[in-house]
Amino acid sequence: MVGRQPLMASPDGTGESESALVDQARAGHTGARETLAQRYRPPAYVLALQMLGNRDDAMDVTQDAMLRFFTTLNSFDSERRVQPWLFTIVRNQVRDLWRRRRRRPGDSAPDADSLTSQLVSPAASPEADLRRQQLREEVWRALATLSSEQREIIVLRDFHDLSYNDIAQVLGIPIGTVMSRLHGARRQLRARLEEGGRHHA
Amino acid sequence: MPDACGRTFDEAFLSGYLDQALVQGDEQRVRVHLEDCVSCRALLEELASVRDATMSSTFDIPRNDEWSEAPRSGASRLLRGLGWRLMTAWIVVMIGFGLWETWQDADNLFERLLLVGGVSGVSLLLISVFLDRRQAMKTDRYGEVRK
Ligand SMILES: [Zn+2]
Repeated sequence: MVGRQPLMASPDGTGESESALVDQARAGHTGARETLAQRYRPPAYVLALQMLGNRDDAMDVTQDAMLRFFTTLNSFDSERRVQPWLFTIVRNQVRDLWRRRRRRPGDSAPDADSLTSQLVSPAASPEADLRRQQLREEVWRALATLSSEQREIIVLRDFHDLSYNDIAQVLGIPIGTVMSRLHGARRQLRARLEEGGRHHA
Repeated sequence: MPDACGRTFDEAFLSGYLDQALVQGDEQRVRVHLEDCVSCRALLEELASVRDATMSSTFDIPRNDEWSEAPRSGASRLLRGLGWRLMTAWIVVMIGFGLWETWQDADNLFERLLLVGGVSGVSLLLISVFLDRRQAMKTDRYGEVRK
């Protein structure tokens, strides 16, 4: 289990700087490669899980993405940040998987039960925490019903904390369109949550 | 929703405001409007609470050793599946061939009876195991449906 903190890529970093690590990994330094893998595999896996909804597929995609990440390391500009670049690879791998299964991104909704089963509940649960965890489950359930475009932009911004700039890079869209697309997705999510709430009532 | 609220900016700016991604002038414009507009404030609060739920979620991730056990790629996973199937087919063929040879080589009725008895015993055992597995799979599937 990994909490939110270790998932955050810190560009200023407490340990070694990211570009130094990339340079070392490129020079064939095994330790640097291992450090990169341990730092970036968890967020890559979680992104894959959030897109695909199931653990086995997410692990497959992550393995493929990490492999691709290391084989393309030489063409990577070390001034760029690793996370958006790796996320671009993960996203492509996810799309490849959908294509192999002959599904269009539009109808590749992850299974909501399977996705929320991977949520970690807070250890100590006073009532307030329980209510919050319930809301989290509802939100991920609703996210699973969105289109993959809407889901990915919300996940990249609100879970992985990517800047608008990084989101534009990962999705391959102009930065000027990020805000309106994100807002549209958030509105849709809110609508789904309201629908869900009405069902419960 | 906030149709007649009189804001002079696109509603998407509320998301930009939430993400602190607006340039200073826009940020100020939104802030000033929010002071007077209840409906935009309400929408912003809702968006913020949903975002907080997403942001504060934690997912279970595989342990380090689980990564080394998993097949490295889709291709190796495919090959592994193929390998298992080929090996099973090979074992079945070899056993069948062995039994056939033994049958041919048997000198008398007693040896043949021994062979038939042995094969029937093993087959019955296998069939019973198979029936149990099928039953288990069926009940599992019903369990899934009931949810
Ligand atoms: Zn307003």
